[in-house]
Amino acid sequence: MTHLAAIALCLAGFTALAFATPRQQRDIVGRALRATTRYALRVSGACALLFALGMLVAQHGWSLGLVMFSGHTSPAAGLVYCALIRLVRTRARPRHRPRPSAQSN
Amino acid sequence: MNTRDKVRVAGPGIRQSMSDLHTWAGLLLGWVLYAMFLTGTVSYFKDELSQWMRPELARQSGVPDQAVVAQRVADELGNIAPGTSQWSIRLPDARNNSAYVFWRTSGRSPGQQRAFGEGNFDPATGQKVSSRETLGGDFFYRFHFQFHYMPVVWGRWLAGVAAMFMLVAIISGVITHKKIFVDFFTFRWGKGQRSWLDAHNALSVFGLPFHFMITYTGLVTLMALYMPWGENAAFKTPAERQQLSAELSAFTQPGKPSGQKVALASVEDMVRQAEERWGRGNVGRVNAVHPGDAAARIAVTRGDAGRVSMSPQYMEFEGSTGKLLSVRDNVGAAAETRGVLYALHLGRFSDLELRWLYFLVSFMGTAMVGSGLVMWTVKRRQKLRNPDRPYFGFRVVERLNIASIAGLSVAMTAFLWANRLLPHPLEGRADWEINAFFIVWGLALLHALMRPVKAAWVEQLWAASVLLFLLPVLNALTTQRPLWHSLAEGDWIFAGMDIMCWALALLHAALAIRTARQAAGASSKRKADRHAPIAVASSEGAR
Repeated sequence: MTHLAAIALCLAGFTALAFATPRQQRDIVGRALRATTRYALRVSGACALLFALGMLVAQHGWSLGLVMFSGHTSPAAGLVYCALIRLVRTRARPRHRPRPSAQSN
Repeated sequence: MNTRDKVRVAGPGIRQSMSDLHTWAGLLLGWVLYAMFLTGTVSYFKDELSQWMRPELARQSGVPDQAVVAQRVADELGNIAPGTSQWSIRLPDARNNSAYVFWRTSGRSPGQQRAFGEGNFDPATGQKVSSRETLGGDFFYRFHFQFHYMPVVWGRWLAGVAAMFMLVAIISGVITHKKIFVDFFTFRWGKGQRSWLDAHNALSVFGLPFHFMITYTGLVTLMALYMPWGENAAFKTPAERQQLSAELSAFTQPGKPSGQKVALASVEDMVRQAEERWGRGNVGRVNAVHPGDAAARIAVTRGDAGRVSMSPQYMEFEGSTGKLLSVRDNVGAAAETRGVLYALHLGRFSDLELRWLYFLVSFMGTAMVGSGLVMWTVKRRQKLRNPDRPYFGFRVVERLNIASIAGLSVAMTAFLWANRLLPHPLEGRADWEINAFFIVWGLALLHALMRPVKAAWVEQLWAASVLLFLLPVLNALTTQRPLWHSLAEGDWIFAGMDIMCWALALLHAALAIRTARQAAGASSKRKADRHAPIAVASSEGAR
């Protein structure tokens, strides 16, 4: 159960941090977000990661907790990364292909 | 001084120097590192793999009573290895369904320093198991740091040199990657070399703490071999060396026996006392020195589960009476530092979830090394004068990449096929499984040398995919434990192995399809580029 909560927090944290970067804002939102929004995303992302660390350390102690935290952050960052690639590619793909008859006209 | 002169005097910047260092440190032993990473990744499930490779051993539904098993196996050792000066039993636990035992044999052949016997023992009977002869998952584990067909010390030195190259590549890579936070989530699709670089960066940065830790701690595990001088200078007398040994391991060198025969006291009682201290099922080993002699000593060691340290914790008993002599609960600060780093590398303290995380991040590390190797060719291919006739060094790297990346997948799967297909009993069966691995890997290299590059990649990836996909079928045909049986019985080791084979088969198929599409795209682009000047010339002529 702790593992599930930890990975969920790490996923949320990295998602917030990803949306705080200019390139992802351009690719996904289409424009740069306001400075206050960026700041809020960074803080909430960092807090989510710290909360995951605190929870794991409280449950398993410093030694195991730190190892588990490191174990959760890498795949969580990887999952967010893959999801962003998928999202950007889906948005870039044209929704409706023009019909051949329309092309000939 | 003009600008050109200034540039010449200044030379390449620190980032460029580090980039060059990263490229060459990563490439020169990259193939060795890839093999070390992949076999090391698999080794996080070596015990489960060993169970799968010994299908004759019954599934273990729960951890057997370790105290009872220890007594059974100790009794059996009294029969099959009487007069041995030392034996050690690794007791069955949540991940091992057999007891692994090794013992010193009394007869030494001339020129041989030490002789050992070893075997797996059935917890239910205490007898040596009659399963097929195999090294199981231990082959990948041992190969990962000492390779094969060469003296162990040479293999470990090679692994150490490769790990040192890896450490240099990691540090120089971090310095080279100037936008590590800004580009943290960046991936630019369909941009050739740029896409490869983004993927390589992501695989490296996401797992950076792990990659650094695993490389550094890998060196620490064999530090006494690589740098023995401090130890040799500080510990000179046998007593000092004995003291050092006690800080690092629960194995003690046997001294002189008394010569007076006395039967061992109850090993079961000793293990019970250890269980009271560390919890039931948390005993690791039972080590005996001079069993059957009045000077016998028994050390019962704590298991690895749940503690991030490999430092020895053990209870020492007088063998003849069973009296508790001493308890070792901690070691000095330096030894404990080594114990923690050692444990971090092996990850034996992990529960199932953490073990999967170790596996996944280590797999990312394997992909990091693989993507780095491929990127070396992708980057240079664009600059080739004639892509159809690249220079010798380029061809060597390209072919070695195929055999060491795709070919290794084929060879590792072939090792598992050999486990199911080789007859048993067969003289030297365990060796033949390993020979099959190397024969297939050699054939993969031959295939990579003989076929066009893209075709070789695609064919070897497909071969790995097909072999992995059919492995559960082979398992169903050759053992009594097919997937449906495993699922019905709740045998998650066998079921998990079958499902994992299919998942990896899908991964290899996806890579094969993607490589084939890229190959088709690249060849049509090249044809278009070749015809382009002619088309331009003809259209200009028509004007």
